[in-house]
Formats: sequence, C-alpha cells, structure tokens
Amino acid sequence: MNSAAKFRTVFFFVYLLSLSGCTQDSSYPNRPITLVCPWAAGGGTDRVSRQMAFYLEEELGQPVNVINATGGQGVTGHSRGLQAKPDGYTLSMMTLELSMLHWRGLTKLDWTDCAPLMSLNEDPAALFVRGDSKWKTAEQLEESVLEEPGKLRASGTASLGAWHLALASWLISFDRAPSDVNWIPSQGANPSLLELMSGDIDIVCCSVPEARALLNSGEVRCLGIMSGREGTPLKLPGLDEIPSLDCELKGWRGIGVAKETPQEIQDRLVTALRRITTGETKVAGKTFPEFMDGEGFDRTSRPTTEFAAFLKKSDETFGELLGRDEFKEVASGPIGPMAFPTAAIALCGLSLVVVVTGSLRKSSHEVAERREPSGPAESNAQSPGGSRRSATEASPSWWLHFGCVVAAILLFAFAGDALGFVLTAGIVLTGLAMLLGAKPHIAALVAVVAAPVIYQLFVYVLRVPLPTGILWW
Amino acid sequence: MSEAFTTALQNTFSLHVLLVILVSATYGLCVGAIPGLTATMAVALMVPFTFFLDPVAGIAAIVTMEACCIFAGDIPTTLMRIPGTPSSAAYVDDAYALTKQGLHQKALGVSLVFSVVGGLIGSLVLICAAPLLAKVASQFSSYEYFWLCVLGLSCAAVVSRGSPVKGLFSLSLGLILACVGLGSAHSLPRLTFGSDRLITGINFIPAMIGLFGVSEVLRNVLNPPATDELRAVGDGEEKPKQNWLVRSLGEVFGGIGTRLKSSVRKTVASSGIGAVIGMLPGAGADIAAWVSYAVSKRTAPEEKRAEYGQGSLDGIAHATTANNSSLAGAWIPALVLGIPGDSVTAIVIGVLMMKNITPGPGIFEADNPQLPLVYGIYITFVLANLILIPLGFLAIQAGSLIIKIPREIILPLILVFCIVGAFAINGSFFDVQVMLVLGLLGFVLERFEFPLGPVVLGIILGPRLEETFVQNLTKSTSLLAFFERPIACGLGILCIALWASPLIFWARKRLKSR
Repeated sequence: MNSAAKFRTVFFFVYLLSLSGCTQDSSYPNRPITLVCPWAAGGGTDRVSRQMAFYLEEELGQPVNVINATGGQGVTGHSRGLQAKPDGYTLSMMTLELSMLHWRGLTKLDWTDCAPLMSLNEDPAALFVRGDSKWKTAEQLEESVLEEPGKLRASGTASLGAWHLALASWLISFDRAPSDVNWIPSQGANPSLLELMSGDIDIVCCSVPEARALLNSGEVRCLGIMSGREGTPLKLPGLDEIPSLDCELKGWRGIGVAKETPQEIQDRLVTALRRITTGETKVAGKTFPEFMDGEGFDRTSRPTTEFAAFLKKSDETFGELLGRDEFKEVASGPIGPMAFPTAAIALCGLSLVVVVTGSLRKSSHEVAERREPSGPAESNAQSPGGSRRSATEASPSWWLHFGCVVAAILLFAFAGDALGFVLTAGIVLTGLAMLLGAKPHIAALVAVVAAPVIYQLFVYVLRVPLPTGILWW
Repeated sequence: MSEAFTTALQNTFSLHVLLVILVSATYGLCVGAIPGLTATMAVALMVPFTFFLDPVAGIAAIVTMEACCIFAGDIPTTLMRIPGTPSSAAYVDDAYALTKQGLHQKALGVSLVFSVVGGLIGSLVLICAAPLLAKVASQFSSYEYFWLCVLGLSCAAVVSRGSPVKGLFSLSLGLILACVGLGSAHSLPRLTFGSDRLITGINFIPAMIGLFGVSEVLRNVLNPPATDELRAVGDGEEKPKQNWLVRSLGEVFGGIGTRLKSSVRKTVASSGIGAVIGMLPGAGADIAAWVSYAVSKRTAPEEKRAEYGQGSLDGIAHATTANNSSLAGAWIPALVLGIPGDSVTAIVIGVLMMKNITPGPGIFEADNPQLPLVYGIYITFVLANLILIPLGFLAIQAGSLIIKIPREIILPLILVFCIVGAFAINGSFFDVQVMLVLGLLGFVLERFEFPLGPVVLGIILGPRLEETFVQNLTKSTSLLAFFERPIACGLGILCIALWASPLIFWARKRLKSR
C-alpha cells in the first residue's frame, strides 16, 4: 500500500470513530452534560466537582464534564451555571458566595434564581493560629483582641470574602467591631496559611479541610469551629476535640440548575444525586461519601426543599453581616482601588510619549514608515528571505483577508452557542481554506473531517466541553 | 532506609504503575500540546481516577503527566508560535524564529533534552534538600513576594529586544489588562465600564493565545503564499537517503552532547532557579522560565546576546530547563509543610490525604511507614523524566508533520485550535472575544516593534504585585517595613540594584559622549 492509500485508510477510520458520538436519542440525558465550577482547577470545590461529575456520569450514562468558570470571586461561575439554558445539560456547583455576592452589589443573582437540587457539604469556618503560639483557646485570643484592638492581623481570603465575614461574625459575637482585627486580603487559604507560618500574621480564618495537612502535623492549631452555640465539637483522628464557637458561619457546596428547568429533569437529577450522596452508587467498589471523608470534607447533604431552607438562612446571615456600617469602610484599604490601575495607565502613557518623541526625533520620515509597515513587522518575524507583502495594507484584498479572520472568530464567539462547535468550526475551516486558495472540495473535506474529530477529542477523550448546538452532537 | 527504598522500587516497578506512567505520559503530551489546556487542567482531569488508584500509581500519574505537559507545551510554541502552556511563553519568539529557519527539529530537540535535564536536576534538589528548602519557603511573607514580583517584572526589561521603553510600554499594558475585573485586594470592580462580563477579568490564557497565536495567523493570512516560509521549509528539505529513524534522531538530537557539555554551569544554575521559584507558593513554572531566560540573556557573551529573541538555542535551553525543574520544586513545600507550591500539588495533597497520608516533616523520618511512598515519589520523578525522551521524540516527529501541511489547510486549523483553546479553559465565549481583541492588539503592537512577552508577564504578575503591595501597606504604612525582614531586604536591594545599574551606565555614557 502506498503512503497516500495508507493515509486515506487511517483517515476513514478516524472519521468513522468520530461519528460515533452523534446520537439522536431524545430522552434526558442524551448528550454530554456540563458541570460549572466557579473556582479554579485544583482547589477544593474543583475536586468535589470533578469527583461528583465522575459519579454523575455513572448514574446518568452520559459524559459529565467540568468547566472552571472562574473570576469575579464566584460571580462568573454562578451566573454561567444558573443563567444557562434550562435544559438540564448545564449543572451548577454552587458555593456560599451565592449567598453573599448580591448583598455586595456584584450581581443580581441570588439563591432564588436557582432550583436547588442537593447540598453536598457544610464546612464551618474555623480559627487557626500557629502551633507554637501563646493562644491555646479561643477565649485567650478573645482577650488579646480586647486588650489591644486593631493590633492582630488575620487573613484567609479576599476582603469581604466569606472567611473575612466569618471572622467578623466571631468578633461581633463578643461585641467587638470587625475592624478590631486587621484583615490582610489574600488569594485564599493556602497563601494565608503560609503567611501564618512565616510569622507575619496571627490568625487565619478558613475551613478545616483547607488547613488539614498543617493541622495534622501540628504546625497550626485550631481554636474553634463556627458551628454555633449548639454545634457539635469537631473530632478528628489523632487530634484534640475542637470546640464549637458562639457564632455560626458555614461554607457550603451544593448542586443546582437554572430555575426554569423542567420538573422531570430535576427529579431525575435529584434521584441520581441522592443515590450518589448516600453511597449507593459505586465505581470500582468506592463511593462518593468515601471520597468526601478521605479529603476531609464534611458531607452533610440536604435535598431540594431542605436545601432551599438552608439557602434562605445562609442568605439572611450574610445580609445581616454585610448590612453593618463597618463593612463600608473595610473595603477601602490604605490605598484606593484605583491607585494601581492609575499608576499603570500613567506608566503606559509616559512610555508611549517617550517612544513617540524618540521615533519622531530619530527619523524624519516617520510617516512613510507607518505607511510601509511591512518593514518592522517582517524584521520582527525574522523572515529569512526579506519577503515583501504583496497585498499592501490599504488594498481591498488585505482588508478582505483581515476581515475574514476577524469574522471567523466573531462567528464562534457569538453564534457558537446556538450553532454548536461542529457547525461553526466547519464553516470557519471551509471559508478560510477557500479564501486562502484551497479547492472547494478539499476545503469541504477538511472541514467535514476535522470539526467532528476535534469535537470528539475534546469532549470524549480530554473531557473538555465544547458547545453542542443544533446538530445534537 | 534501604528496606524502604527496596519496597519503593518494588512498588514503582510493578507492571501496573509502569502502565499508568506510560498512559499518563501520552495523555500529558496530548494535553500540553493543545494550546489553552494547561498542566493543571491535565492533572485536574485526572482527579477522579486518582481516587481509584493506589497512592504510588496515583502520584506517578500526576508527576509524569505534569512533566510531559510542560515539555509538550513547547511543540505548538515552536511550530505555530502559540504557547501550549503558559510556561512556554518566555521563549516563544526564539522557538518560532528557529522554525522559520527550518530548524524546528533542532529547537525541539534542545527543548526536550534540556527539559529532561532540568527535570532530573529539579528532582535531585527535591531528593536532597527538601526539608532544608522548605524552611526557606516558609519564611516568605507578603514582603518577600512583593520583591519577587518586582524582580519578575524586571525580567521584562531584560527579555525584550530593542528599546527598553517599548518593553516598558508593553509591560504597563499588561498591568492595565490585569487590573480589569474584581481585584482581590479591594474586592471592587475596576475598569469594567459597567459591564458584567468584565468583572470576570482578563483571563491570561486566551490573552496569550490571542497575542501570539491569533496575531501570527493574521500575519500569515495577510502574507501571500510566495512568502510563506513554513511551506518553503517543508518542501525545500533535502532528504538524504537514510533510514527515517536515524535521520530524525540526527536532526533532533544532533550536537546536543556538546551543547550540554559547554553549558553545564548555566544548566545547573537554571535548574536551581527553577527549583527555588517552583517551591515558592504562587510562583510556578511560567515565572521560572521568564527569570531563567532573563538571567541567561544577561550572562550571555556579548556576541551571543543579540541572538536572544531571534532564535537563541541557549535561551530556549535555559528557560525550558528552569520550567521543568520548577515542577519538582513545587513538591517541596507540599511534602514538607503540607502547603501546595502550585495548583497541581494542591491536588497531590488531596490525593495523599485521601490515602491517609499527611504531608509534613514527619514523612521523611526513618521509622515512618510512609517512607517507601516518599522514595516512590523520588523514583517516579526520575522515571517520568526518562520516559519523556522517547515519547517526546515521537511527539516531535508527529508535531513536525504540521508544517508539511499546505498553508491553506493548516492556517484555518490553527485558527480553530486558537478558538477552541481560548474557549476550553473556562468554557467561555467571552474569552474568545478577549482572544480576538488581544490578537488585534498583538498584531498592531508587532507592527510597531513592541515586544509581546512583557504584556503576558504583566498580566501574570500584575495582580500578585498589587495584592502584595496592598497587603504590605495594610500591615504597616511605613515603607521601611519592606526591608525589615532579612530575605525581603536582600531581594529589595537586588531589585533596586537591577534597576539602578542600567540607569547609572546610561548616565555615564551620556556624560562621556558629551
């Protein structure tokens, strides 16, 4: 067999393989499902999401892929998940930020916009100090705060993040103002714990699983968890019992869908989630609760209405906290929020002025250079033959090519969701290939093969979701 | 100790574990080679499976995947000028310039071999010095990180070719882009112009794909076929009558021995830089590559310095050494302190806890039952890097087919991969728009000879710089506090010296010429 024939055979089989993902079954679910996680890959919520997706896949018989829609301290992920098409193909991993972001005016979204399916865990906030610190109990720490208000430094998350509010609610529980402990904003629990180790801050407020490794090795000490006056103390293997403090603030995770999702789809999902959270679903003999225990997460789960009641309560707690006057000041640190951007813009403007005046002085035919941009661009790209652009910048052909590339990207950005990946990519591939001089049948062939193959590769092999669209692919 | 070591060897060299290593290496190579998908994502995709693997196999999978991913990122970087992972962004211009000269096999060969060497030296650092270095890492507070950010940003000035002012402009552009959205220091939306979408901020992966990839596609599309260097390279190749394997082995690995021998000291230094940066939480393979590249350029002999940015094999070699060696570095705080050095080791800690193993100084002690696992980790680090040589070679061969595909077919495909890459990381159509805007920006910037690297650097380091600065000021309003801690003081003086020295040189030159 010559190489062309060989190539064609391989080509054909790959193509057949790629078509296998095309299904037309109409009962839910009949195509890959996406689980939106509002936090970055590798974090706690991400790990829970991915394990959950794995078990959901087992239950629902379709791939469940996780998207990390990060940014905006959770705004992005929650809006993406809850404002998606209410067809049950986009699930949302919700975290406690849903209860607080709207109080801070960052989004209009709140818990009433979701159809709560099942909560997965409730980890109370906890207070950590260094293992060798003088504070052995929360009361001793309380005394230190009372003695010298404003001296101690604490961290755990961004300003006004959940753990910041948790610390505030602890301070409020013994009638101190939230500003009596200095909050140092940070990226999250891990960098804060490191600051704690380096001795630059005194307290870290975060959940227990986040500090578990340091806790077990004795590097940090947990003074108490915030599960309220009647809350049960926390017992961890190999450690002293951790008492529950007088205030209550819990980080939670749960799964929801857009509000208008049909009831029968919601029911189907709740059934699946119930089987998973109770440990009925087993993969290779292991269950989801085993995973949660292994990672050190609490696993109090509440189904639909109970979850909704919990959400309502959580929402009220944060509303009360964030309604306090003190929090209007906390947001403004030693330098204003616009200081850094202003400095960057100033630097940008200044350097631009230097560049422009420099080039004005250097060459008198600066205008000519702009007209002939191929010079700088080419030298930058290191083309060996000193090649010249035949389509000059002003020519219609230049603009046609330029416009087509931009249009291709815009097509995907704006119509990708409706048309789906395969169709959009097909159009882009055919169009651009023909524009660049490929014969129509070759261009079409490439599109017909490449688009489905890429889709299959991402969705079924790499487990990265791509838009599905109207082809049911 | 020897007993634990034998157990570890037995555990690691079981058929099961070796198979896991092979599969994850292949998987890592694929994910890394696709622009937009990062090493973190590859490992995160593995999370559900590690739950079912025994600890040695699970950890081996993660180690191998990460190493392969970071190397594979160099493949699209070199062949298409799209950094496969952020870690490759530092030397994208060099690698792509070599491709245009028809030397892609050689460039990838260098990056493969030096990745492996960097990975091995990094592992050595992990094996020998973990407890000691972890002590250093735990001394880093926001003051030290602030100076580290300044140091990282200073690289922009060194790295950028041509006018440093232009580099500064690009850098400040990156810093501005980094400000968009909800800053963690103040938790207030900035530069969003009231748009809900912009609260998300500019994700730097689509930004990077736009700046490098889309702008390159644009330039190629706007170039008529006659000037298409990529194809010229593919067609014009003189094929000597040799066995395929022998020929390509020669192309990829030719002259590597002498190169290694001649730069032993610099390679070790780059690995050291990588390992140290890697072990600091919040600084990873990407920053390691930047710093190492800058150091390599600074210390290069005068006649070679001009090559940097235009196809310097040395630059590629040292940067890629550092980014692979930083991977092992990140395990240092993870194993010794239980604090992840990066998002991948965060997953590792999860996996270890799952298997009832608590990272901490205790696991290195001789009577610890988990010692075989620690040795197992060491062995897998070495193994993962060694397996990279044959698999990486195959990946280079497969990748090199790309440039033989006719221009009218490959350019649309590259564009589709850019789009998918930008979309996939967050599943966001908005990111695709970001990619487009930055692609146009990159296109314009290059026309006026502004370097693109510093823009990426600004986006990566900007938020961290601001955050640490605000943290420091919240702790104490006195600027002297920036120098109070010993390590911070040292880093601070280094930064100031770095910035002052060219100014002094410049002033001197000015005075003399008058």
